[in-house]
This record gives sequence, C-alpha cells and structure tokens, in this order.
Amino acid sequence: MTRLIVNRIFATVLVLLGVSFVVFAALHFSPGDVARTILGLGATEERVQALRQELGLDRPLFIQFWDWLVALLRGDLGRSISLSVPVSDVISDKIWASLLLMGASFALTVSFGLLFAALSGGHHRSLLDRLITLLMLFLASLPPFSLGIILLIVFGLQLRIFPISGVGAMADDATVYVVAKHLFLPAVTTAVSSLAVVARVTRSAFIDEMGEPYVQAARARGHSEGRIITVETMRNVLPSFVTIAGLQIGFLFSSALFSEIIFNWPGIGLQLYQGILQRDFPVVQGCVLAIAIVFVIGNLLADILAIVLDPRRRG
Amino acid sequence: MRLLSIFRNSQLSEVIRTLRRDRSASIGLLLLFVLIFVAFLGPLIAPFGSNDAIPSLRLSPPGTSGHLLGLDHQGRDILSRIIHGTRLTIITGVTPVIIGALVALPLGLLAAWYERLGVVILRMMDVLFAFPMALLAILVTSSLGAGIINLLISLVIVLLPYYVRIVYQAAASQNALPYIEALRASGTPVRTILFVELLPNVAPAAIVYGATVLGSIVVTAAGLSFLGLGVQPPLAEWGVMISEGRNVLLIAPHVAALPGAALTLLVVACNLVGDGLRDALDPRARATINYQANSRK
Repeated sequence: MTRLIVNRIFATVLVLLGVSFVVFAALHFSPGDVARTILGLGATEERVQALRQELGLDRPLFIQFWDWLVALLRGDLGRSISLSVPVSDVISDKIWASLLLMGASFALTVSFGLLFAALSGGHHRSLLDRLITLLMLFLASLPPFSLGIILLIVFGLQLRIFPISGVGAMADDATVYVVAKHLFLPAVTTAVSSLAVVARVTRSAFIDEMGEPYVQAARARGHSEGRIITVETMRNVLPSFVTIAGLQIGFLFSSALFSEIIFNWPGIGLQLYQGILQRDFPVVQGCVLAIAIVFVIGNLLADILAIVLDPRRRG
Repeated sequence: MRLLSIFRNSQLSEVIRTLRRDRSASIGLLLLFVLIFVAFLGPLIAPFGSNDAIPSLRLSPPGTSGHLLGLDHQGRDILSRIIHGTRLTIITGVTPVIIGALVALPLGLLAAWYERLGVVILRMMDVLFAFPMALLAILVTSSLGAGIINLLISLVIVLLPYYVRIVYQAAASQNALPYIEALRASGTPVRTILFVELLPNVAPAAIVYGATVLGSIVVTAAGLSFLGLGVQPPLAEWGVMISEGRNVLLIAPHVAALPGAALTLLVVACNLVGDGLRDALDPRARATINYQANSRK
C-alpha cells in the first residue's frame, strides 16, 4: 500500500511540473507579442521593448520556463497589470474564501449524494427511488449559472431569505451565522450537479450490493433494512463512492467559478473573471495555476483515501 | 439482403432497438430533435430578428402582447433571441465533441500500438487531466483570444484527455485479441491494422463517451460565452443572453432566467440520450430495459 501511495505522489509531482508548463506556455504561445499582451494595446514601443528585456523574452523558451519555475517555487507569480500588486498577494488574499466555498460544497455533495443514493438504491424500484432518480437526472443537468441565477431570484430577491452577494465578513458583526447565510446559496449552486452525479453513481453501487448473498444472509439473520443499508452494504459501497466523489472535485471547481461570479463571492473564481475582463493575464495565469494545484492535490488525497479504504489494494 | 440481415443481427441494431424501448431516452431524443429542428429553422419561425429592438418596450415582462416571453434590456424579443440562439448554442456544444473524437481516435490508436509513443501521449494527457474542465478552456481561450473558433479549439483540447484515454483502453484490449495477432503475422501494414481493422472496433467506445459528455460540453461552451470568452454579443447565444440578463437581474429577472431554462432543457435532453446510449451498450442494463419494456406490454 505504501508503495502505491509513494508512486502516486511521485506521479503527482510530475503532473504539477507539466501543469506549470502548460500555464507558462499559454502566455507564450498566445498569438502576438507577449510584452504587448501584458501591457495592452495602449503601450508605447519603448515600454514594450523594456518589458521584453525585463522578462527575458529574447532568451530560449526552455530557459525562460526554468526562470519562471524557480520564481514560482519562491512564490513569485509576477505582478498584476490592473491592480499593480504581486499576483501571489492577490491569490493568498482570495484563496481562503474559495476554499471555504469549495469545502462547504464538497460537504454538501458528499453528504446529500450519499443520502440520496442510500434512499433510492436501498429501496430499488420503489416510488421513492423513482422520484429521486428523476430529481437527480434534472439536477445533474442544471448548469451552475442557470441554477445560481434562479436561486438568486427566488431566495434572494423574491423571498429575501438569503443575501444575494458577498461574503458578509466585511461587516463589523461578522459571525459564523452571517457568513454561513452568505455561503448557503453559492454552496448549493456549486454542489447541486455534482451531488446528483455522485448520487446516481453511488445508487447503482448500492443496487449491486443489495443483490449480493451477504445481504440476504443479513436479512435472514433478522437485521433491519436500515441496518443493512447503513452498516452492511455501506462498507462495500464506500470505495466507489470515494472514487466518484473525488472525480467530482474538478466539476466543483468549474461550478464554483460560476457561483462566485453570480453571488459576488470574493474568491479566486471571481478574481479570475475580473482578470479576464481586464485582460490581466498574469492574474488569469496565477488563478488558473492556483486552482489546478488545489485540484491535483485534492485528487491525490481522494486516490490515497480510496487505496486505504479498499482492502484489495492494501498489499 | 445479406447486408440487411447482418445489420439486423448486429449489435448496432440491438442498441437502436433498446434505445427506442427506453422511455426516458426516447423523450430525450424527441426533445433533442425538436431543438435541432428549431436550430435549423431559426430565422423562419422566430417572430422577430435576433437584433430587432423596440426600445420603448425595454424590459417588458413575459406576456406583453406580441412578445410571449417579454423583451430584454435593448427591447429585443426574448423568444426570438432564444430561437435564434439555439443554433449557436448547439453548434458550440456539439462540434467539439465530434472534432474531439476525430482527433483522439488516431492519437489513442497510435498510443496503444507504439508503446513508447503511448507513454509520451498518455503523460501529456495526464497533465491536461489536471485542470478542471472549465478552467482549461478559460486558459486556452484567454490565451488565444475570445471568439467562436477559439472556443471550439479550447473545448477540443479540454475533451482530448478523456477521449484519448478511452480510445487507448479500447484499442489496448483489442490488441491482445487473436485477429490482431493474425494480421500482424500476415504482414499487414500497421496503417491498415490501425485504421481499417481496429478503428471500427474502437470507435463505439468513443461515440458513447461523446454522447455521455455532450451535456457537460454544452454547459461549458455556454459557460465560456457567459464569461465573455466564447460567442460575442450581439450574436444570440444562450450563455451570452444569460450574461446580458445578469445586469438587469434586479428589475427584470426573466431576461436571464428564460435562456437559462432553455439551456437546462437542452442539457436534460443531451443527458437523457447519453444515459440511454450508455445503457443500451451495457448488456446488463440492456437486459433490464428490454425486460421492463416487455412487462409494460
């Protein structure tokens, strides 16, 4: 088991190296002059030349990448064009709000995904199963930006139950309650489609397990259905549940981007959007890199957990 | 005649039969056909042009006489814009799924055939895997510049790692079979083995994957246009319309909500068909579907 995990960590380091190259290359392979891209169309020829020298654009691509990578490892991601502060400062400012949103969405995805899966998969072909299956199909198809806007209209504007924008932490009386209230709609928006996918896949795992002989044996021994679902089959469903939940992390990141924009949640996603609007390429680069790194590490953790949970892979 | 009977007994006809018996897949297929129909006929059935504006009726709610779904912030008829927008929304979602498969098939086949090249290709795909879908697309479009062509390129790149891995796995499992060994032993050129013999046995896996991922790609494509990286206003596309509607959300929520609903409908249709196709190719699920269809009779 340890060797599997060590191999996995080693592979992750290589992937991260590749990821940083892709992010680096995205700027350098973009059509047109990089320095001009960074400075924008209004820049004078002298400034463009000065920046070309400063960035070392006249040197071979590989050396440029090496310098970029070394700077990156020191936490230096360049300067934002529109905010004229280091990109690393921008990211360290915003990443906590994003991680909070991601954490809350992931918790919703995992808990409700498993709950719906157990309810419908444990009672295969019942009315409840059919209703949940239909609901999950619909939820899995909801684009986050459509759902976010509908939740915002209904709960924020019409019913006025939840605030429609921001994190609420700016207020002097920022309490856990205030932040949670601001967090609720964005977290639901982010989680819904992933939650539905997790529920659908885990449901089939439940259905498979419920047909196994050991479930019959448990029934014969007089265990209640509730106990069979929550204790006996759960243990065998967990590995596939953890795998699909881990796979959803990427979708959660994509969805979180849209909910941050719609609900004005001050995280990396909103910053990325502003970077796009202002053509602030270093910020776009930094945000993409930050999200990709968190994503890769999240995947690594999910994989390790799946290895630990699956007795067949514990050599 | 012989061809016909081969078709009748082939897996393909079995799949089509199962798909037609699967009630939810049939509903999805019907919905999808209606939407494609609307996309084709767009300008013929839309009551107004996509940019015909009546400024005096700006932001009028649904039900305004002559404008079933109301008007947007420029006084354009929303129903007409949704109808016109069907075309670009479907094109930007479907094209990358098709081109992605066409690019991934040779890559995956070569990766499965030449071991060393395969390692290189698969490691490159692993790197692309490390980006959440929407994020990679954003990186590519913001580097290449906004626009429909760049949007399509970025979505093809986003799809590649998934497609290539699936083609690779399908091809690798075929490579171990006797018929490939026989072809190899008889000195058949690699080109022929890969693209004449292997391709037809590998393509179905790619097609099914394409069908199941279609919904997500439609969402991602509309999402990029929503972010301003794809289709550009004033063109009618649902992501663009949602994005424009956001600015007037407080006074006229219908401007953003209605194209959002249309997009959801399209994605539901795609997912119903995708699920149905996946089930139809899975022998166990196919048995269940046929059993249920028979017991309904």
